[in-house]
Amino acid sequence: MDSVIDIILHLLGDMFFAGLAAIGFAAISHPPTGVIKFCGLIAAVGHVTRTCLIEFAGCHIVLASLSGSIIVGIMAILIAPKLKCPPETFSFPSLLPMIPGIYAYHSIQALAMSLTAQGEKSFEHWFYLFESNGLITALVVVAMVIGQMLPILLFPKISFTSTK
Amino acid sequence: MKQQDLLIEVDPELLIDQEYLDQLSNFFAVYAAYMLGCGATCIRIKKNLRRMANAMHLQVDLIILSHHVTVVCTDNSTGLNAQHIKRIASVGVSFEINTRLSELSWKVAEHKLTIDEAENVFYRIVKHKPMPDMRIMLLVVIANASFCHLFGGDWGAMLIVAFATLLGYGLKILLTSYKWETKLIWLLCSFVSALAAAGFTYLPITSTPDWAISASVLYLIPGIPYINSISDCLDGHYLCSLGRLVHAFALTVCIALGLTAGIMLANKSLIF
Repeated sequence: MDSVIDIILHLLGDMFFAGLAAIGFAAISHPPTGVIKFCGLIAAVGHVTRTCLIEFAGCHIVLASLSGSIIVGIMAILIAPKLKCPPETFSFPSLLPMIPGIYAYHSIQALAMSLTAQGEKSFEHWFYLFESNGLITALVVVAMVIGQMLPILLFPKISFTSTK
Repeated sequence: MKQQDLLIEVDPELLIDQEYLDQLSNFFAVYAAYMLGCGATCIRIKKNLRRMANAMHLQVDLIILSHHVTVVCTDNSTGLNAQHIKRIASVGVSFEINTRLSELSWKVAEHKLTIDEAENVFYRIVKHKPMPDMRIMLLVVIANASFCHLFGGDWGAMLIVAFATLLGYGLKILLTSYKWETKLIWLLCSFVSALAAAGFTYLPITSTPDWAISASVLYLIPGIPYINSISDCLDGHYLCSLGRLVHAFALTVCIALGLTAGIMLANKSLIF
């Protein structure tokens, strides 16, 4: 079993790389000056929440992503009024490191394999993998968006007056 | 009840003539077109417009389609109305514009700006110069390599992803400057990034080639349109939601096609 220090280092690495990924993706969406570093911070906390839930609590990736994105949404509406920005400015880029890229890639890979499969069994095997990976990808994306939208919809006064 | 009882008494100074109503309606339509273009959610656009219109005792209604937006402004006290249709501005996702235009809506609502002043501020905001492409490219390269690490890729895979992203994103900047069709740009960039990533997996620098290839095209994922689509759906803007979803899905299909073609050309064994 990993020592406590190994676990802490693993989680710090997870936060660091999630933060870097969010900063890069925030830059693509042209945020206001000074906002990018907060996107990195929110993404780091959201992603490490998901990692902890998956690795230590045995949560399914969909439920863990929903929880991580709720944290992202809550942090976004807390920070938004202080920087006079809409919460989406922080929450949207911060969600992107949680995109299930590997599942998406494996579903495309399985689709390509099923198209060239020889025989019913082989086709069914690859098509099953396409469906299963595709379904997880879609559900994780929907869970992420609903999770970060929940705090915005539950606290509309904070969310829609943050730029005042 | 007499008809006179139904008439609302209005301060004559607050009465809006047709010309002014047309100017307001046109401003609101351009405002909505830029907000949609910069990636704002329908609920935010609706709230911002209603905030400004309410301050002028007007009612504003929106019809949002995939390429156009219609704004109808009605003065309930006089029954006058004006409507304008505008093409959604192709400014690309920009939270800077979204934030500044939301701020502007508050200034108009609190009567800190006249409509002429608001129009001047508006055009200054939408002409705002974004961050230089090269700086964004550097950040995207680092972000994509970090993504690869999050998936479980090793340092070699991260290096491959960084190089593949550099090539693909560089091509995206170039083709965008030539105003090529977006879907074609996505297809070609995905192909180039996947080709580079799959080609480099021949080198003995990584034991996680799958992770490198899957992360190499992630900078192209249309995350904001997907998120906006679900947000619009939750708010009941089904047409706009569907339009954004189909657009995002079309780009995803382009990424998938480019990715498959790139891998098959460079390293078939990764798929078959």
